[in-house]
Amino acid sequence: MQCPRCGHEEISTIATSPVEGAWEMYQCDVCYYSWRSTENPHVDDVFKLDDEKIANLQVIPPVPPLEA
Amino acid sequence: MPKVYQDLRSFLEVLEEEGQLVRVTNEVDPDTEIGAAGRAASRIPNGPAVMFEHINGYPKGQKVVTNVHGSWANHALMMGMPKNTSTKEQFFELNRRWDLFPVKPNIVSREDAPCKENTLEEGEINLFELLPLYRINEQDAGCFISKASIITADPSDPDNFDKTNVGTYRIQVKGKDRIGMQCLAMHDIAKQLWEAEKKNEPFPVAITLGNAPLVTFMASTPISYTQNEYEFVGALNGGVPADIVKSDLYDHLYVPAGAEVVLEGYIVPRVRTVEGPFGEFPGSYSGSRLQCEAKITHVTYRTNPIFENLYLGMPWSEIDYLMALNTSVPIYKQLKVDFPEIVAVNAMYTHGMTEIISMKPRYGGQATGAAFRLLSTPHGMPYCHNVIVVDDVVDPFDLDQVMWALSTRVRPDKDVKVVPNCAGMPLNPTEEIPGITAKLIIDATTPVDPEPMKRSVELLKDPVKTAEYTKIITDLMAAK
Repeated sequence: MQCPRCGHEEISTIATSPVEGAWEMYQCDVCYYSWRSTENPHVDDVFKLDDEKIANLQVIPPVPPLEA
Repeated sequence: MPKVYQDLRSFLEVLEEEGQLVRVTNEVDPDTEIGAAGRAASRIPNGPAVMFEHINGYPKGQKVVTNVHGSWANHALMMGMPKNTSTKEQFFELNRRWDLFPVKPNIVSREDAPCKENTLEEGEINLFELLPLYRINEQDAGCFISKASIITADPSDPDNFDKTNVGTYRIQVKGKDRIGMQCLAMHDIAKQLWEAEKKNEPFPVAITLGNAPLVTFMASTPISYTQNEYEFVGALNGGVPADIVKSDLYDHLYVPAGAEVVLEGYIVPRVRTVEGPFGEFPGSYSGSRLQCEAKITHVTYRTNPIFENLYLGMPWSEIDYLMALNTSVPIYKQLKVDFPEIVAVNAMYTHGMTEIISMKPRYGGQATGAAFRLLSTPHGMPYCHNVIVVDDVVDPFDLDQVMWALSTRVRPDKDVKVVPNCAGMPLNPTEEIPGITAKLIIDATTPVDPEPMKRSVELLKDPVKTAEYTKIITDLMAAK
């Protein structure tokens, strides 16, 4: 299985439906995109990510310097 | 004394009695139907709250409710007013109750707090079982909680109740007990997180879902850092204290006693992971960012908890009703201290990105000064980038009148000012660098001395019998 957003193959099943057999919820371990097995996920090109884009995302809020 | 709600359930009962809540009992798909219903309901004039009672994959009867605040009728009922109360009347009633602040909250025992009926400890927590989570908008990165009230304290002064913060920040669920949270730098929670992170300390949080409607209202109201939200809830309750109870994990945090669900845990210090995109209140998606993560280690909840969440998208949606008057009133109060000439402030549009001040300037340039004051309030500074100042005779909540003022009182060469390179709001899609913007001030007031006005302008007045004839015509129409 591939992440529909960043293409990585490290995918976890983070939940299964409380009523057995209805769905599973998957999540990419790299970019945290998640989707249900009942969905047909479509990620617009503008929201696609790769390692370089992830490394350059804005950090919110900034992490303060450690106090001595 | 207005009707007071200490929990969401009692408010939902009243909404249903008043015809302002509908139930969907057939089975629905969580990701394609609940968000759509929230979108639709908030577009219907005086649209209702929508309760879903059967969600695919969840036991029948596990409920989600959306659009609880999503109309002026629901907003009036939240305040214990008739559902046909006008927006302007609600504004002035909020102003009146605002002055009752502070009303100390009522601390109830754990045994008397409905939110403590059930408990989950670390290892037992599964947010996907507890809450029928769903994707709100198609390009959201996953399931988001959009209407939580999050309680935190100042790590450098943790026992100072005035500095306790109750705020609403979006949450992306990233696992059974793991969430991402957006803490923008201008928000109170970011100031507190900074204190914890510089010492590399976990930052305690209590996240409450499904609250009394005025708790949710105050959690999204911009007030001063040392003003306590619970003490405002009591004021807006007409003087009836809000019921709160001590967190199970943290002695210095208190949560609303009637909450449907309370998630307790901590923000992991100095960690940022990919969060978003998420369809946001300006009507566009925020991009992906590296944002905070929290670990949930303890949960309490009412039996058969109701998951309350809101739709947000292109205005107007539920969030615009929620953040309309609660943005206008505090800014009006803050300005009124230094500018008694101000009559009202309308900050209802996209959380106050555009605001309208109505005032009677005493001297030339004062209207521009009032606009600068607005742009230096804690909320106005980042959020507001367009200010329009109109005369006192113009109702700032009536856009027909505001457009009249723009059309007949603005001379572009002298009345329009642009100030570059000011603080912005990263979700504003016009900002090239998220967080930096320009400010626009339009002075649509009539010039007063010493500003020259070489042509006199004689304002038309309504004919004397206009009010009398309004009643005559209305009665004739009703008699038809």
